[in-house]
Amino acid sequence: MKGVAISFREVTKSFDEKLVLDRVSLDVSPGEVLVLLGRSGCGKTTLLRLVNRLVDADAGGVYVGGREVGDWDPVALRRGIGYAIQGVGLLPHLSVGDNVCLVPRLLGWNPERRRERASEMLRLVGLDPREHGDRRPDQLSGGQRQRVGVARALAADPQALLMDEPFGAVDPIGRRSLQEEFRALSRELGKTVLFVTHDVTEAFRLADRIAVVADGGIRQVGTPHEISDAPADALVRGLIEGAA
Amino acid sequence: MSFLEFLAGRWSEILGLTLEHVVLVVISTVAGVLIAVPLGLAITRIPALGRPVLGFAGVIQTVPSLALFGLLIPLPLIGGIGSRTAIIALVLYALLPILRNTVTGVRQVDPAILDAANGMGMTDWQRLTLVEVPLALPSIFSGIRIATVVGVGLVTIAAAVGAGGLGSLIFRGLAMLDSRLLFAGAIPSAILALLADGGLAMLEARLVASRGAPTS
Repeated sequence: MKGVAISFREVTKSFDEKLVLDRVSLDVSPGEVLVLLGRSGCGKTTLLRLVNRLVDADAGGVYVGGREVGDWDPVALRRGIGYAIQGVGLLPHLSVGDNVCLVPRLLGWNPERRRERASEMLRLVGLDPREHGDRRPDQLSGGQRQRVGVARALAADPQALLMDEPFGAVDPIGRRSLQEEFRALSRELGKTVLFVTHDVTEAFRLADRIAVVADGGIRQVGTPHEISDAPADALVRGLIEGAA
Repeated sequence: MSFLEFLAGRWSEILGLTLEHVVLVVISTVAGVLIAVPLGLAITRIPALGRPVLGFAGVIQTVPSLALFGLLIPLPLIGGIGSRTAIIALVLYALLPILRNTVTGVRQVDPAILDAANGMGMTDWQRLTLVEVPLALPSIFSGIRIATVVGVGLVTIAAAVGAGGLGSLIFRGLAMLDSRLLFAGAIPSAILALLADGGLAMLEARLVASRGAPTS
């Protein structure tokens, strides 16, 4: 399944009276990798979680494939969108293969088809299904677990991927190869990807476009080139120069 | 007559009482599990239940066992002399450790795992059965183990209200100032407690090993 468009229209969200997102609008085109870049607490993770309704907006609209997310059953919506997070969140009591095929299992695929899919997905992220498929997550390295997290997000062939610092817990070298492989993979699959990171290098390496998020709003949206050539304001300049 | 000869002469009685003892522990622990595990899981879904339910179980736990048996005897329907009163008291005692370990077991599941489970589109029931209960199982099991071991001890006291079991030998030994009778009850019940603890500890270790480390 190819990517789907995701849009935010004047989205506002507060937690305990604290305004986290203030009338944010953003369009993610089908098949593009859009990176939400910003410091911790800027609202980027909340923006991501609005898409699969782990958070509901106070005002404004979030659209997936042109349809307001509020009109979806949250469970059905989430099963159609891949989700990968920093802690990975693999289930320690299930094998790697069973972890990869959790969403297909929720969708009622038969075991035979799930096994095939798990092998296919593990190969896709550079793991050997025969060597790794039957292991427990705690028998894998940190980088391998992150790969399993990506494989799991892709397993049900979702229309979009939501990724919240999915390579956050890996050493710099492992991280770089994960990023490069993920970039190639996302181009090949043509999924719409919304990717949250605070790491400027990661954002520039992965993104088709970057949205710089600060203080509950979007400061600038553009290709990595546009942003490095013409930062919209001092904050954006500070953020990208801080990384150089 | 040596102690061993004494035992040899009474082995069938001792065996019978040991069996009775085990049956009382098993009945009350199983009943405790059947009540406390669902109740504990309900508390994780309806937090308002937590305070009153755990509070009640905690109060029961602080009442001395002999006093609790005494308090139950005059109650109509559930009271009276015999094993029924004892089983009710034993079930009440089993509740707290199992409840507490069920609730903590579920609450200590890694938030990243729960977030992933929700984000993948699990219903609340699926999250409970596929994620939370399996991950809480070692903790729940150790609550059951505590309840069982405590139960073995409490059943000896329950003999005071006519429940039977090895405690009746101990009480008879005390009344007749016969240390052989006393030991004939005390030693098997101590062995029983050690066996229950060791056996359940082994099961627990296998459970943990077969499910991977709960935190990773």
